[in-house]
Amino acid sequence: MKMKKVLALALTVILSSGLLAGCSKQTPSPPSASPQPTSSGSEAVAPVSGKITFSIWDLNSNSYLQTLVDNFTDANPDIEVEIIDTPSDSYVSKLNIDLNGGAAADVILVKEADYSMYQKGQIADLSSYIERDGIDLTTYNGLAESLNFDGKQMGLPFRMDYYVLFYNKDIFDAAGTDYPSNDMLWADFEELAKQLTSGEGANKTYGAFLHTWQACVQNWAVQDGKQTMMGPDYSFMKPAYEMVLRMQNEDGTIQDYSTLKTANIHYSSPFQMGTVAMLPMGTWFMSTMIDRVNSGESEVNWAIATLPHPEGLAAGNTVGSFTPIVINKFSPNKDAAWEFVKYCATAEGAKVLAEAGQIPGCATDELRNIITSVEGMPEGASEAMATKGVVLDRPTVPFVNEVNQMLGEEHGLIMLGEVGLEEGLASMAERAKEIKGE
Amino acid sequence: MPAKPTKTAHTRKGMALGMRNTVVGLSFILPNFIGFFIFILIPVIFSLVLSFTKWDGFTEMQFVGLQNFTNIITDKYFLQAMGRTLIFSAFTVSITTFVSLGLAVLLNKKLFATDFFRSSIFFPYVASIVAVGVVWNMLFQKDFGPINEFLRFIGIANPPGWTASVKGAVPAVIIVFIWKNMGYYMLVYLAALQNIPAELREASCIDGASPAQHFWRVTMPMLSSSTFFVVLMLTINSFKTLDLIMVMTSGGPGQATTLIVNYIYNKGFVSNHYGPASAAAMILFVLVAIITVIQFRVEKKASM
Amino acid sequence: MIEKKNPVAKVLTHLLLLSIVFITLLPLLWMLSSSLKLDRDVFTVPIQWIPSHPEWNNYLRIWEKIDLGLYTLNSFKLTTIITIIQVLTSSFAAYGFSKCRFKGRDTLFLAYVATIAIPWQTYMLPQFIEMRILGLTNTHTGYILMQSFIALGVFLMRQFYMGIPDELLEAARIDGLNEYGIYFRIVLPLSGPSIATLCIFSFVTIWNDYMGPMIYFSPNHLKTIQLGIRMFIGQYSAEYGLIMAASVFALIPVLLVFLAFQRFFVQGVATSGLKG
Repeated sequence: MKMKKVLALALTVILSSGLLAGCSKQTPSPPSASPQPTSSGSEAVAPVSGKITFSIWDLNSNSYLQTLVDNFTDANPDIEVEIIDTPSDSYVSKLNIDLNGGAAADVILVKEADYSMYQKGQIADLSSYIERDGIDLTTYNGLAESLNFDGKQMGLPFRMDYYVLFYNKDIFDAAGTDYPSNDMLWADFEELAKQLTSGEGANKTYGAFLHTWQACVQNWAVQDGKQTMMGPDYSFMKPAYEMVLRMQNEDGTIQDYSTLKTANIHYSSPFQMGTVAMLPMGTWFMSTMIDRVNSGESEVNWAIATLPHPEGLAAGNTVGSFTPIVINKFSPNKDAAWEFVKYCATAEGAKVLAEAGQIPGCATDELRNIITSVEGMPEGASEAMATKGVVLDRPTVPFVNEVNQMLGEEHGLIMLGEVGLEEGLASMAERAKEIKGE
Repeated sequence: MPAKPTKTAHTRKGMALGMRNTVVGLSFILPNFIGFFIFILIPVIFSLVLSFTKWDGFTEMQFVGLQNFTNIITDKYFLQAMGRTLIFSAFTVSITTFVSLGLAVLLNKKLFATDFFRSSIFFPYVASIVAVGVVWNMLFQKDFGPINEFLRFIGIANPPGWTASVKGAVPAVIIVFIWKNMGYYMLVYLAALQNIPAELREASCIDGASPAQHFWRVTMPMLSSSTFFVVLMLTINSFKTLDLIMVMTSGGPGQATTLIVNYIYNKGFVSNHYGPASAAAMILFVLVAIITVIQFRVEKKASM
Repeated sequence: MIEKKNPVAKVLTHLLLLSIVFITLLPLLWMLSSSLKLDRDVFTVPIQWIPSHPEWNNYLRIWEKIDLGLYTLNSFKLTTIITIIQVLTSSFAAYGFSKCRFKGRDTLFLAYVATIAIPWQTYMLPQFIEMRILGLTNTHTGYILMQSFIALGVFLMRQFYMGIPDELLEAARIDGLNEYGIYFRIVLPLSGPSIATLCIFSFVTIWNDYMGPMIYFSPNHLKTIQLGIRMFIGQYSAEYGLIMAASVFALIPVLLVFLAFQRFFVQGVATSGLKG
């Protein structure tokens, strides 16, 4: 009896508080002054003002974001930008709750290719702003298209990263081997790793290092752009896995997955300690290396080369990802938000990124030169960084999160030898089908 | 049982007394209940409602009846996760209860450095979970980790691969769970042991009972309500384990340590399927409710 | 039991305890040793227990890199307030649930137990939406209200009160004490150890809570110490030396609270009260 009453009471409260109406929060956002889409007249641009929030992760290691905000507010004193910083490993969860709960920041950096937020209508369409201000989408190196859904441009590419080959010059010198070239096959990489491996036990020097992410195997399989991680069949990943398993199990030229995983070994420490000759890793690692060498924490004499490529593909084709910058559809001050987004994703903001050693989404040769002339960058970096094409490792399509998680699980089993390669790849195909079939 | 008087006949006096008892009882409960109702119960009931809907967390929800339930109980990943959870739970609950009771009894007396022992055993409960995950993975390392080195030293030629193997991952997580939680439940038992009057011990000494007899005949029955609490809390907490798994194995290798809450979390926050996620939680809840009711019955019987 | 113990058994007990303590403390030692290392040296193979060049600097750098002082203060504030509210209201409610008889009591109590059984992740989103409607997200007040009334406190206290013999209360009733009198004069003085347990539990839970503050506190000035620790884990690199230093630092207040309360767990404290 009592329980029933309590339940009934609870339900009424919920209903009346509007909680149940999941859609109620979609009624256009607060009564702010800015009338929405067509507000900003074409001629006399009304001065935009107000406070906006900017959601990012790892401010600590990305201090250029603060520079970006400071420079912007200097130029636009009427707009105040508050940074909302979240630890990176929780960023996706927090963003999910903020967006669903209707409490997200005005301007958002998107951490992982996520499809659902665009699909659910949580992100603002920027097309009219882009048209009004004449933003040229072709400057984004082909990345802008992947943010275009049904003709709506949902965001701009803010930053990009792609894989290059980091190497330790001293180990090459000691082995009397030539430095890796900017046009190298994966087969050459494997061979080179054998020549560079030496020593035993704690004093072993490994020819190469592949981090535990599935990306560090699967990316080499999608590098040619013919297939994506979405499958539906995964046999195209076989050559990449075969190579890595050979290196791990037969040649011993890389440290084994199980040790890396359980001992939490991060790719940066063995490379910085100089026990690894070659490390295929993202361009983001360049600024870390510069910092560590400058601070004296690492004495590694490092350089970069273009990522090795499979046979039949031209050198300079690599794999990467980019960080979109988007506006919350329910932001009360979209005009101000747009001014900030425009600043971040076009020439002025891009320069700030480049000076910090980050590659902006609208990278040009000029900007690349700024990056490679950052103090501490190794010689030959600009040739090594030249690209012919960047394939996105995670496409922005439905089910990308689920498939990605599944691939991670299967990757672990294959690398640990818990399942055979054929079996693992077959299981990937089967589970991808299950996921998409839901 | 105190309130027997209320049962006396249906006299007006009895009714008034019942009324007064209710008012007095509620007055004790209300300060907590108001907050509990608004901030906990409402969201919980809301998620109960969710289990009958299709909802992506944002756009309009659709009522789908029992579809979520029929879907997940035929989902092999759900059943596997549930199976793993039950195994995990069976081991953690029984061993932790046993160990924490043992420790409480040992540390319920003045020993050399009791404070030190208690704090050391309590420490794992306090330690931050990030540090815990990192440290234990290191200790469990297959080839050079101290645990396997010790096992090889005592003659086990092929020690398990622990977190780097499908078979060893669950035992590894169980061990860390016990390590982390035993200190807290030891404390619960210690507190309960304080309530046992010293007179009882003296009495059984006089009766010539051995310490073991005293423990089983006097101490254990006096601890029954705490044991109920400990077992129930451990069951619930083992069902709800997520943090520890995330920092140690992230549910891997493969899905070897994907327990039911990982499943719920993935359904909700990775796939944005809040309906099935809530349905899975409701099934979990029904399981706990059954266990609770059984334990309630046992508890009532014991206190009769 | 103690008085009669023979020396051999006593030595064995100590040996057993020492070995258990060794196991529980091993990870702490590792934390301590790592907190004095550079990031790249934290995971060397094989484990290096004593760092060759202790990096004491780590304990200074954690103060420079994040607002550790502010975060610690926030954590203290939240933890203290929540613990106090929780202990007061829970012990009060627990008396109602264990020693007062009235209709619907057990069903009401089941509602409490039910919420314990449901993983927070399931109702996290509904709760967040509710808090947003009430305007309580991004406030300390919201978090305090959300954490103060969790069912566990009531449950824990109820179980302890169940252990107090009813005869004791019956005697007091006959002496003319009303229920409030009984609670304050008899039950409360007896609940030292259980209140201590709840205090420790509540303190540890809130102090170590990460998900709650992560979701509810966006602006920097609201953040807590656990959020601070996670700031050292970056997307592409984690500063494990600093993580360990901050974790060791965060451990100290909780251990102090434990030591302060654990004097309640001395055998025999409760006995005199029972004669009441």
